[in-house]
Amino acid sequence: MEAGNPLLDEYVLGLATTDRPRVCFIPSASGDADHYIERFYQSFTPDRCEPSHLSLFRRGGGRDVREHLLSQDIVYVGGGSVISLLGVWRAHGLDHVIRECWEAGVILCGVSAGSLCWFAEGITAFHGPAERYAGLGLLACSNTVHYDAERRREDAYRSALRNGMCPGYAAGDGAALHFAGQRLLRVVSSRAGAQAFRMRSVRGRVVRSPLRVAYLGEPQRAPGGPAPRRLQAVPAIAPAEMGSQRAVG
Amino acid sequence: MTAGAEAGARRILAMGGGGFSSSVADAPLERYIASVSGAERPRVCLLPTAGGDADDQIGRFYRAFRAIAEPSHLSLFRLGTHPVSLREHLLAQQVIYVGGGSLANLLAIWRVHGLEEVLRAAWEQGILLCGVSAGSMCWFEFGITRSHGRSRSARGLGLLPGSNSVHYSSDPERRACYHAEVLDGLAPGYAVDDGVGLLFSGPRLVEVVTARPGARAYRVEAAGGELHETPLAPRLLEPVPGGVDGPVEIAEFRDARRARAEAARRRRGA
Repeated sequence: MEAGNPLLDEYVLGLATTDRPRVCFIPSASGDADHYIERFYQSFTPDRCEPSHLSLFRRGGGRDVREHLLSQDIVYVGGGSVISLLGVWRAHGLDHVIRECWEAGVILCGVSAGSLCWFAEGITAFHGPAERYAGLGLLACSNTVHYDAERRREDAYRSALRNGMCPGYAAGDGAALHFAGQRLLRVVSSRAGAQAFRMRSVRGRVVRSPLRVAYLGEPQRAPGGPAPRRLQAVPAIAPAEMGSQRAVG
Repeated sequence: MTAGAEAGARRILAMGGGGFSSSVADAPLERYIASVSGAERPRVCLLPTAGGDADDQIGRFYRAFRAIAEPSHLSLFRLGTHPVSLREHLLAQQVIYVGGGSLANLLAIWRVHGLEEVLRAAWEQGILLCGVSAGSMCWFEFGITRSHGRSRSARGLGLLPGSNSVHYSSDPERRACYHAEVLDGLAPGYAVDDGVGLLFSGPRLVEVVTARPGARAYRVEAAGGELHETPLAPRLLEPVPGGVDGPVEIAEFRDARRARAEAARRRRGA
């Protein structure tokens, strides 16, 4: 849903096994902001998927939320406040439903707060000072986002890791971590030069290891140089793995 | 009857619906809130949490209060762009106004942000707490919410004893649910129409007011297996001088006119 950049949207749609995957957008972290819901429908058009969204602020009596989410191929969680997101989800029992979806093989993905929520813990800086939060814990590691854009997040993440936060991943804007079960399958990006790091504390010192990030766009070809490897060279997820638990953060 | 503005007065104004977010003119309720606060131009902070911090609700709030108060609002969804200390800001107010929307979401979000404790402190220090719909029921032990689609009872903060149901005459399904729940043992309480406010001092109901002629509130309780609905006659508030709907509509007109003029200036490249 990046403005003018459909690369990550296409990547996520490409993970589904059907031509026209059912994609449900959950905008709880933004308080179901109308402009965000509109942006979702503009990005996920009916010619390539079957889009819907789930509002937890204006719930009608009709639809069974659990049934609807379990029938999706992809659940896409929007950004905003991860703290508010988790509060609202718990009030509606969505934390349990989402876990069920994950276990049933629905692809879970999201941006910003919609990434943070999948992890056991991490750093959010949405409400000013960067602070620790506890997430859903589908992924047994930690996470922080907007890593390159906000220095305070890096400082807070390093400090939390030194103070016992479990090891995890820092992702810059445009970078997406693709997990199958607990395993990081690959890191892709919608922006050339986007960065992601594995971070952990070793005897009180934070070790930051850069991850190989595959840019999803057309490679920039240097004049006269060798043609760079195209992304298609990255092996696709084997059909046998399609039912496994995946999350793209 | 006018409640005092002294510290520790522990006042709550619980409104059944309408208020600034309604198209019907409830401007007298806003004047009433300002007068109960005891301040000439009270600092009034809106918590639009239950509506997901909807821009529309926030805009209407400023239009309704800017002539008579110092309005501000706190977003728990978009605070990142304007970080403030929630506690400091709220405890510096004279009125805290909670907007309508989803009661379940409101309470869940307050809990994770630690606002329950801040609001209790605000109440104890004499800040007037008020709100409409979900922003009314949240103060009681129980409310009748449609947060999950169908009506059902849900726990509130419990600053006020008993239960509360809102939109009483305009939402028959909620009314039926309230009756059934009270007959089934839910704590007795108050059913309130749109445009009606109940003013409490501590746990005691001290005044019932309305901006709408004919609107009502009721004490609802069960006795001997039967439901009793006792009407509470509200005091009709004075209409706001200059036409009830005038100030808000004229302010909207002026806003729109200013925006058009600004756009025209930009087009001319000025």
